[in-house]
This record gives sequence, C-alpha cells and structure tokens, in this order.
Amino acid sequence: MPVAWLVGRKLVRALLTLWFAVTVTFLLLRLLPGDPALALASPNMTAETRASILASYGLDKPLVVQYGLYLGQLVQGNLGTSFTQSIPVTQVLGARLPWTLLLTGASLVLTVVLGIPLGVLAASRRGGVLDRLVQVVGVTGQSVFVPSVAVLLLFAFGVRLGWLPIGGAYDTGVYGVAWYGDVARHLVLPALSLTLVQLGAYVLTVRSTLIDALGQDYTTLAQANGLSPRRVLWKHALRNALLPATTLIGLQLGFLVGGAVLTETVFAYPGVGRGIYEAVTQLDYAVLQGAFLLLAATVVVANMVTDVVYGLLDPRVSTR
Amino acid sequence: MSPTTRLAGLSRRTRLLALAATGALLAATAACAPQAPPASDASGGTDDATLTIATTTDVVNYNPLVGNSRSDYWVTNLMYPHLLGIDDQGKKTPSLAKAWGYTTPTKAYYDIRDDFTWSDGQKLTADDVAWTLNTVKKDKPSGTFYGQLSNFTSAKVVSPTRVELDLSKPDSSIVEEIGFWGNIVPEHVFSRASSVATFPNDGKDGGWIGAGPYTLTKVQVGQSYTLDRVASYPLVEGGKPGAAHVVFRVFPDVNTEILALQSGEVDVIANALPPAQVDTLAKTSGVTVAKAAGLGYAHLTYNMKNPDLARLEVRQALSQAVDYGTIRNVVLRDQAVSTGSSPLMPVLTDYYDPKISEYAFDPSAARSLMEKAGYTADSSGMFPPTFRMIYSLQDSVTAQWATLVKDSSAKAGIKIELQGLERNTYLAKTAKGDFDIYAGNFAIMDDPATNMTLTYLPGGVINYSYVDDEQLNTLIQKATVTQDQAEKVALMQQAATIVHENVYDNVMYTQNLAFAHSSRWTGFVSQPSELLSIVNPESLASARKTG
Amino acid sequence: MSAVTTPVAALDAAVPQAPARPASATWRRFRREPLGIVPLALLVGLALVALLAPLLSAAPASYGPDVLVAPGSGHWFGTDSLGRDVLAEVVWGSRQSLLVAVAASAIAIAVGTAVAVVGAYVKRLDTLVNVVVDLVLALPVLPLMILVAALVGPSTTTIIAVVAAFSWPEVTRIVRSQALTVVGLPYVDAARLMTSSPWWIITRHVLPAVTPVVVVSVVVTASRAVLSAAGLAFLGLGDPNTWSWGRILYEAQQSGAMSSAWWLTLFPSLAIFLLVLSATLVSTAYNDARNPRARRSRTRRSTIGAGR
Repeated sequence: MPVAWLVGRKLVRALLTLWFAVTVTFLLLRLLPGDPALALASPNMTAETRASILASYGLDKPLVVQYGLYLGQLVQGNLGTSFTQSIPVTQVLGARLPWTLLLTGASLVLTVVLGIPLGVLAASRRGGVLDRLVQVVGVTGQSVFVPSVAVLLLFAFGVRLGWLPIGGAYDTGVYGVAWYGDVARHLVLPALSLTLVQLGAYVLTVRSTLIDALGQDYTTLAQANGLSPRRVLWKHALRNALLPATTLIGLQLGFLVGGAVLTETVFAYPGVGRGIYEAVTQLDYAVLQGAFLLLAATVVVANMVTDVVYGLLDPRVSTR
Repeated sequence: MSPTTRLAGLSRRTRLLALAATGALLAATAACAPQAPPASDASGGTDDATLTIATTTDVVNYNPLVGNSRSDYWVTNLMYPHLLGIDDQGKKTPSLAKAWGYTTPTKAYYDIRDDFTWSDGQKLTADDVAWTLNTVKKDKPSGTFYGQLSNFTSAKVVSPTRVELDLSKPDSSIVEEIGFWGNIVPEHVFSRASSVATFPNDGKDGGWIGAGPYTLTKVQVGQSYTLDRVASYPLVEGGKPGAAHVVFRVFPDVNTEILALQSGEVDVIANALPPAQVDTLAKTSGVTVAKAAGLGYAHLTYNMKNPDLARLEVRQALSQAVDYGTIRNVVLRDQAVSTGSSPLMPVLTDYYDPKISEYAFDPSAARSLMEKAGYTADSSGMFPPTFRMIYSLQDSVTAQWATLVKDSSAKAGIKIELQGLERNTYLAKTAKGDFDIYAGNFAIMDDPATNMTLTYLPGGVINYSYVDDEQLNTLIQKATVTQDQAEKVALMQQAATIVHENVYDNVMYTQNLAFAHSSRWTGFVSQPSELLSIVNPESLASARKTG
Repeated sequence: MSAVTTPVAALDAAVPQAPARPASATWRRFRREPLGIVPLALLVGLALVALLAPLLSAAPASYGPDVLVAPGSGHWFGTDSLGRDVLAEVVWGSRQSLLVAVAASAIAIAVGTAVAVVGAYVKRLDTLVNVVVDLVLALPVLPLMILVAALVGPSTTTIIAVVAAFSWPEVTRIVRSQALTVVGLPYVDAARLMTSSPWWIITRHVLPAVTPVVVVSVVVTASRAVLSAAGLAFLGLGDPNTWSWGRILYEAQQSGAMSSAWWLTLFPSLAIFLLVLSATLVSTAYNDARNPRARRSRTRRSTIGAGR
C-alpha cells in the first residue's frame, strides 16, 4: 500500500477524533443542566444583566448556529475567550500545558525506565519468587487510590523528612539556573505518585508479552542458530515484546494528561487536569471546550508517536 | 531469509525519518516548556522578607468591581482601597474616608484622606471616588458593589477630598454600605476600557496600578500571585509595610495547605480553618491560630410558597425539630454563637436584642404542633409531607449539619429529603425558588436595615422564604429612611421579633472564624469575617517576621 | 453440546489449536495458584461484608461524642470529624461502593458485549463499531466524568451511569477480538447453513465462546469502577447522603483531617485497595489457568534460565 494513502487515512482518523471530542463536549455542556450566567454574575442579577451576559458569549443563539460559529472559529485557530477570566482560551491553557507535559513526560519516562527492567526480570524468572513479587507490586500499583498515596508522600517527605517541597510547581524568588533545579524538586513527588499508579500495568504488560515472545518460533530458531540465551532475550524477544508495551504507553499518555486531576489537586500542581476541574466548577464553557480539544489532540499525537516507535521496533512493518 | 537478518533489517531512510519526527516533536515540546523567570536583584535580611499566603481558590478576575471569588477579593483588596472598614461590632470605621454622613436625607458625602497615592505616582483624589461610583452605576458590573447602588443616582466632586452623592430616595444606610463594600479604582487606568463591567484589568499595559500597601507584579496562573510593597502606605504605623513581598499560592486541597504551613513553606492560610482542625493546629508548635469575629449567620428558610410551609404551626414545628446545641457543639466545635434565632446577631452590639431567645429543641412539642395543624402520623410515626432541603456541597460546614437536621426532624416525625447540590446548581435552584427548605449562610450581614430589605421585603433578592408581611414591610421601610439611630434600632428590633415569632427565618448561629499562621510572623490585625480576617491590607502591612 | 463449545474455550488471539480444556481443568489449575485462591477468598469476604453489613455493625450515626479519636479499644478504626465510628462507615460503605461497581460494570459489560458480538457477526457493522469504539476511547475519561457528574448533580444514578458510559468501549474491544475469531470458525458457517436465525447462533455459539473473556472483563471493569467512583467522590461529586468508601475520603479531605488523622485515609483506602487488588489477581490467575500457551511457555523457562 502506498505510504501516502496510509498517512492520509491516519490523518482522517485524527481529524475525526478531534471533531468527535469537540462535539461531545459542546453538546454535553449545552444539553446538560447548568447556567453559566449564574456562575459569572451574582445570583441577584437582573434578567436584563443575565440576557446580556448570555448574549456576549453567544449562548442565546440556537444550538446549531452556536455549533457552526464555534467550528468556524476553531478552523481559524481561535479557541474563544474564557468566560471567567476574559482572556483568550489559548492563554489560559497555554499557562497550564507546559506543566502537564512536564509531569506526564517525567512520569512516563520513569515508568519506562523502571518498567522494562522489572518486566524482563519477572519474565526471565517466570514462576519464581521474584516473578511473583513483581506481579504483586505491579498489581498493587494499579490498585491504590492516588490521593491517599499523595498525602502520605507529602507527609513523609515534605513534613517529616523535609526533603521535598509541598505542592506547587516551583517557588517564587528563585531565579536563573537554580530555578530549573527547583522545578525538578517540585516535580519529584507528583511524578512519583503518577508513576506508582502507571507502573503496574506497564510492568505486567512487558512481562506477559515477553513471556509470549520467548515462546514464539523465531526465538527457538534464533537459539538453534547458536545465539546465546541472553542475546535472544534482550535483542530479539524484547524488541517484539515492546510492541504492545509501546501501545500501552500511548494509551497511558492520553489518559494522564486529563486524568492526573487528583494528583494535581493534592500537590497543587497547575496542570490541565486541575484546570478542567476548575473550569467545570465555574461553568467556563470556552475553556472546557478548548481543554477537551487539547486532550483529544494529545491522544492523537500520542497515537502517531506510538505508530512511529512501533514502526521502528517492529521488523515486520515495511514502509517502503 | 533467516530470522536474524530479517530482524536487523530496516531501511536507513525510514530510520532517519522516524528520528527526525521524534526530534521535531521533542523540539516542539521544549518550546512549550516553562521559562525560568529572569534573575532579580533580591537581597537578604528580615526587612526583605516574603510573606507567603495559601489559598484554595485561584484568582480569576483582577477587576474588583466584578470579581467574586475569595482570592480575587483578597488580592484586589490589597490594591484598591475601601472608603470604610469595619470593627468587631459591625460598626464602620474610617479607612480611605475620614468622615462621612448625610447633609440631607437624599444627599450624602465622604471626606477622604489626602495622603493616598496610586503606585504610578498620581494622587488618589475625590475624582477617582466619584468616577468609580458613577461608572459602576452606568456600566452595571455584576458584583456586590452594583447591588449596593440601587438608591444612588450620581456622585459629584466638590473638592479634591470631598465627594457628594445624590440619592433617588432617602436611605440612611447607603453611605456606609457603599463605603464598606465598594473598592475605589483609578480613573486613569479603568477609563481606558469601554465598560468596567468587561475590563479584565489583567495588567497587560504597564502592570497594575494600586493604592494599597502592595501591588501585583507577577502572576503565574493557577500557582502564585506576587505583590510587591509600596514605599509608603498611610494606614500602617511607620508608613512602610513590613514584608517586602506578599505571595498568594494556590493549594486546591486544604490538607496540603496545612502540611505546607507545618513545613514552613507557607506562612498564612487565608481561608478559614475547618472547625475540627482548630484545636489540632492551635496545639501544633510553630503555628498560631488567630480568631476573627463572624459577622454573618447560617440559616434555614422555609419556602412559604409551599402550602404546608405557609402554615405557622408547621414552621414552628420545624424550628423546634433542630438540635441547635449539638450542631454548634459537634459540627462547629463550639466556635459558633447562637443569635437567639434572630437576624440581629450578638456581635452587632447596637442592635442585639437579648429578649429574643432561640427556638427550643423539643421533638415532642414539634410533634404536637404538627398534630394540632391537622397532620396525622402514619404507622412509622412520620407525618405525610416531605420537605426537600437544598444546600451547597461546597459549604462543608452546612453540608455536615444538614444531615443532623434531617435526623432530628425525623425524631419529630417530619420527613426531610436532603438535596446537596454543586454550587452552580444550588444558585440556580435558589434563584428559582426550587426548594422547600433552604440552608445557607451569609458571610457579612452588618447592616440590619439594608439586609432586611433584601431578605424580608417582597421581591427582595435574598428573600428565600417568600415572605410578605405588611407590618414587617412597614417597619423595614421606615428603618431604611430614618436618620435617628435609636429609632432605627427600635424599629429593627420590632422587625426581628416579628420574624422570630412567625419563623420567617430560622437563624442558626454566627460562626466565629479561626485562621492559622506561622508563629514566626506577628503583627496581624484581625478584622471580622473571612473576607478580611488577617489578610486585610492593614494587617498584612503591619505583619513582621521575627526570627 | 460440550463437544462444540469446549474447543472454543481454548482459543485466544491466533494460536494453533490446543487440546480440549474443560472448565474443571481450568478450575483445578486455578485452585493450585495461591495468587488466585487467596484473592478470590478476599473478594468473597468483601462481598459478604457488604451483604451482611447490618449484622456486622450498627449503621453509622449522624454524629458522636468523641471527635477524631485514633483507633483504639472503643473504636477499632477510630472516629471521624463528627465523632462517627469509622468501622461502621467502612462496613456500610462497602454496600454503596460494591453496588456502584457491580451496577456500573454490569451495564458496561452488557452494552459492550452486545455491541462487540453484533459487530463481529454482522460484517457491515464491524467497521462502524470499530470506529465508534476508538473515538470513545480517545475521549478523556476522568475529565468527562467530572463534567457530567458536576452538571447533572451528584447522585448514585449519575455515578453509575457515568462510569458505565466510559467503561463499555474497553469491554467491546476485548470481546470483539475474541468474537471475531469465533465467528470465523468453520462450525459457525455450518451453523449458518442450518438456521437462518442469527440470534440463535449468537446466543448458542458466540456468547458462550466469549464468556471467559467477559468474565475477566467483569472483574477488571468493576474494580476500575470502584476507583473512578472514589475519585469522583473525593472531588465532591459522589452521593453525599449515602455512605461509600469514597465519601469517607471526601469528608476527611473536606475537614482538613487527612494530614493528621491517618486512620481516616488508611481504612477506606485499604478497602478499595484490597478490592481492586483481589479482583485483578483473580482475573490474572483465571487467565493463566485457562491459557494453554502459558503452559507451553513455562516449559521454555528451563532452557532459557539454564543458560545464565
């Protein structure tokens, strides 16, 4: 199949995903109960004030018209203006996105760096004590309730030991190079919390797919060709086993960007997840629509990156 | 082809393409990365200390005429002065205004100080005051300020330190209410906007201009708001505010705030402490708990549009089915005071009427009242009507005692269905009158005449019992116009008695608030209510770090 | 009928035919795995606690005299900020938490399986099903749950509906691959010749074949539902009038007690943890027990490990 056609199909898929996310958000906001005018003005406002507020955000027009206008704006790259802050939505989200990317990125890197060795360890000693231990640790991580872990970490490392700061992305009053160090210090606990939750699934996936790969024909063949068992393990089986793990990372990225809201709440980390929660409490439709579009875009990008990495790893995928 | 060669083979071009794509992605991510703030020449020493204040809500609006979240108020309060302050008895005190009053029943005035300057050097004069009042009246920004201006027509500058107000009808409370609730904004900044109702005041052209002890300089959205001190502030002893910088940091979770205070990362927690934490924190070393008088009250109102609740016996029964003492003891940890079930709270020493006493908690009496009203209990001992009670889930204290009210009413055979709502839904239902019983609280109810106009007059915006009592109406209307303070008090006390006897409003308690701060900081000046507490301008300007 | 259904039970993801594995063999294998039996017992235990709650503890009172007391002889799990007994809250809270988990996953499973099976059987609908599932899976789950729960208002029905609505696509995805395999088998084609009713084929052949996958899915979906519900409750979007594990955590958070009263966080978190952990371990063990490939891989271990 020609590459152009494949790429084209992926693009259509991506656009469809974005459109779907935007439309679902748009409809949910306007069809479910909730009056943004009340959220903006004091409850004692006159009917006239309320009408003018709704009009200024175009909320008085029929649904179809609003939708058309919104899509038109989107295509031009205009995400609208925040209801509560009267600044462009891009500015609101732009302030939060870097922190989300940082937190998500750190957590994913940690997950991969810790997950692969642990998965390999478990798979190569399948059925043994270490394997069981890794399995239990993996499943444990998936089963904890994030805020509980977060508060525990804060108490232990922040208050009792005093090694790490409590909340926020960085301290004011720190400048220049030291600032980067400060950001890193503030990143440790939130990233750790997130990693603990993500790690489990990743380790287990690596483990199980590696087990499968080790049982495949090509592994037997490689051994028959005289390759040492260790070489077989690391070079060949792992490479193939990482394929589903890569897909998993892609999925986790999509989840993390919006799903880190609990972590961001407890650690006061100013990411997009918490931003969405605040926008919901303020019924800021514009920010919510923009945020969900952003999340969908992240998922799309994550899928694309996953496909690329998949292509790199999978020798059977031909792209000529 | 042997598996090994198959495994190793990938076209060079493909690899390069993939690498390039990944590289581009990383570069794009790096471009979005946060930038380190530029280095500043900050020197050391306790004179240059930074006071860090934790808050649970983010600052969303920098326009004091519009802003409605607590954090908005705390930050803008530090920049835009009020004409009047308030003391622990609810009496108004001079702030920007030195003197105030009425020349005729429909003409009021403020004499303001001449030593306030805006942070860009321009003097704060009567022009700013008059302009603020007139523009708010004209542009109608949605906030409490505009709500105070219903009887105000226009303001006139008489001299650089005197403003005169024209009223559309006599109103003996308005000059104090406007003075207390309204922020004065700089004409030369705010007039740049076509309407102050939509002016974001986000400091884009040239930063923020304020006349308070601190001016906003740096904003990290969702994280921190830094204010730098001005050289001289008239309302602090010595003129120079203590801390060089004040930083508001956003912590969405109160538990994280408490941990941060304990570790020394923040110095003050701006939001009121949950009652159960006051004792624990008071005993924590390094933490001091400051008290602030409550100026508002929590209450239940019975929607008289409901035919059952329109009957006095039913309302009386309901009022005797609430265990007030236990609520104050268990939920509020004895940090609340009974108001005698009257809207005239003890803290308002001028108005308080000790003759009005709290409804007794007496389930059997409540039961007899219901029977007297003609209701018969079913086999399980419950009377037929079910009353739907709404409350805001955001208000954790009310949410806690709502269940207690339901349980104690059940003892009297009265069925209450609880409907805890998310804040916006709560506001919507309240506005529409979509409830049988309303549970809520007011943070500041400092002027009975103004307050009763809104709570008990028909059509009043917070008249949640939908009461329309002719005798009551007359008393309230007379009180709003009379300039004789003694007469005003007497009228208000008569009105409160009527409200109490008819259970038009079930005022539960006034909550006194507690705020935690680091013991290393002293000099806070506590003022009533959560809006002021220890984070009001005079307090922050006087705070000093000791060791 | 067993001769027809049992070969199917052994099939997952394009593996050459393995010898017949009756359900009893699966159970025997499962029974021997401690990481399967112990969690199963825990799960049963938790279910019993929920069912027998009235026998185990008095219902949580609306308040109590001793506020924020640490665990001790009077209160095994301590008391909360209104003096209520935490043990009672946890025991009675298990009812709501399990109810939400079971109800949400039941709906999700029913809808997901139905969609998957229909899509697998009716070729024309398959692409559509695939696209819809991908689109819904691309939606950010937790933010949307927050949005809907906040707008509609917190209540048990809302939580169940919201959790179910976002759990069904994953079920569809898992079931679909299995269903596709089954539908492609020769005996299904033979069945198509015998009868013109697709309904008969679906219920008699396809559904039993996908049942093992669905069983695994039930357990996983239910445990995720508990976490989602707890997360929403923690943010203030749970049912405020019924006791649930999430509500205990929410009240602890609201009253600022999480930082000092460790027992308020520990016990409900432990309950959630045990439920999710057991559920996941049981499903993994079940999967291992019925998977022939796992058996084959185990014999490989000796060749690879020996070389070290």
